[in-house]
Amino acid sequence: MIEILDPTCEPGPQAIAYAPRPAALRGKRIGLVENTKFNSDRLLEKVGDILKVEYGAAETRLWRKRNASVPAHEEIIEELRQTCDVMVAGIGD
Amino acid sequence: MSPAAALTSKRHTVGGDLADAIEFCHAQGWTDGLPVVPPTADRVTAMLEAARLDPAEEIAYIAHRAVSITAEKVAINAVMAGCKPEYMPVVIAGIEGIADPLWSYHGPGTSTAGAAVLMVVNGPIARELDVNQGDNLFGPGWRANLTIGRAVRLVMRNVCGSRPGTLDRGTLGHPGKLSYVIAENEAESPWPPLHVERGFRRDQSAVTVMGAEAPHQFYNQLSNTAEGVLTTLCDDMRISGNVMGQPQYVLVLAGEHMRTIARDGWSKADVRRFVFEHTRNSHAHLKQTHRMAGAVLPGDETRLRPLVESPDDILVVAAGGQAGAFSAYIPGWGSKRSSQAVTKEVKR
Repeated sequence: MIEILDPTCEPGPQAIAYAPRPAALRGKRIGLVENTKFNSDRLLEKVGDILKVEYGAAETRLWRKRNASVPAHEEIIEELRQTCDVMVAGIGD
Repeated sequence: MSPAAALTSKRHTVGGDLADAIEFCHAQGWTDGLPVVPPTADRVTAMLEAARLDPAEEIAYIAHRAVSITAEKVAINAVMAGCKPEYMPVVIAGIEGIADPLWSYHGPGTSTAGAAVLMVVNGPIARELDVNQGDNLFGPGWRANLTIGRAVRLVMRNVCGSRPGTLDRGTLGHPGKLSYVIAENEAESPWPPLHVERGFRRDQSAVTVMGAEAPHQFYNQLSNTAEGVLTTLCDDMRISGNVMGQPQYVLVLAGEHMRTIARDGWSKADVRRFVFEHTRNSHAHLKQTHRMAGAVLPGDETRLRPLVESPDDILVVAAGGQAGAFSAYIPGWGSKRSSQAVTKEVKR
């Protein structure tokens, strides 16, 4: 009989709050956050065009993270909060 | 309270003998594929005491993963890796390194590009622990080299969640992801050791961590000049790693090459400058080989892009066997913009 200790992270429960989802995208301002990889900007702009043409979104605006390995920096989050209703983040490779 | 009673990790009681406990660890998904030493409370306590750490002490917080790494969890994984207790301060410095925002865990801890944690141990502790700096530098044979890096990787797996196939999505990975630890040949090197170049005293011990690809060995068995040896290196190295990303590099200069370069009076800074100058690629070549986007334009034949942002992004380490006209370069993971080498003092 051997007693051993657990090597893994044992996180406590974390509450994650999701922002309320809009019922429709008509007239909404769309923020796009690209991660700097090849073509991620083109992919997201394409998504933005679809949201405007097919779903009636009012406008899109694109932000660029500092690099692919980090979360969007504070300025992006703050501007998004001020100027957008919905955001789409994407990866390109 | 006894030291063992201060440990708060969940305890598992395993029937049978030591082999059964090892199998239990495999079955839980806690290992890298090799057998581990079952982490009993007494072994974990010895590990903590060797580094004079309280089990609850937070060694690092990985913001990208929202994970707190406690001394207790590091100690458990170090036991499993096969570390002696006296290795623990080096493991701790390595963990502090990969948690540094400049190292930027989320990229090299998860990326398809398959980064390992290259660790260069400098200072007195490297000799005390017999961290290999000579023959078979990256190969088998030295317990400190193989278990210290393994402990860091097990922490990444078990505490940070970088499990191959789920969060760690390395397309190819490489053997250095098991353990990738070297020391510098400070006794025979004619140059200041890496940690001194990076701001520490010679009598301090330090660990430099870099998210890294596998080592690339190059041959020069012909030249007896610094320029000759390094010309061969640059020709090998010019197209390597994420050539468009400008990662950092480690150069490992082994015995014969080290002596040849030093005999010509070249400093590490001279090596860095030469290598920086001679690893640039023309835009035309980068475009013709489909590394740089776009059509070749007039002037692209002579427009040069450096392999690294600056000569200081080439870290020079004197290490490897005395015999054999071989050395190595190691491309860093991704790009310097995404992750940088970090040096942490080994606190004792």
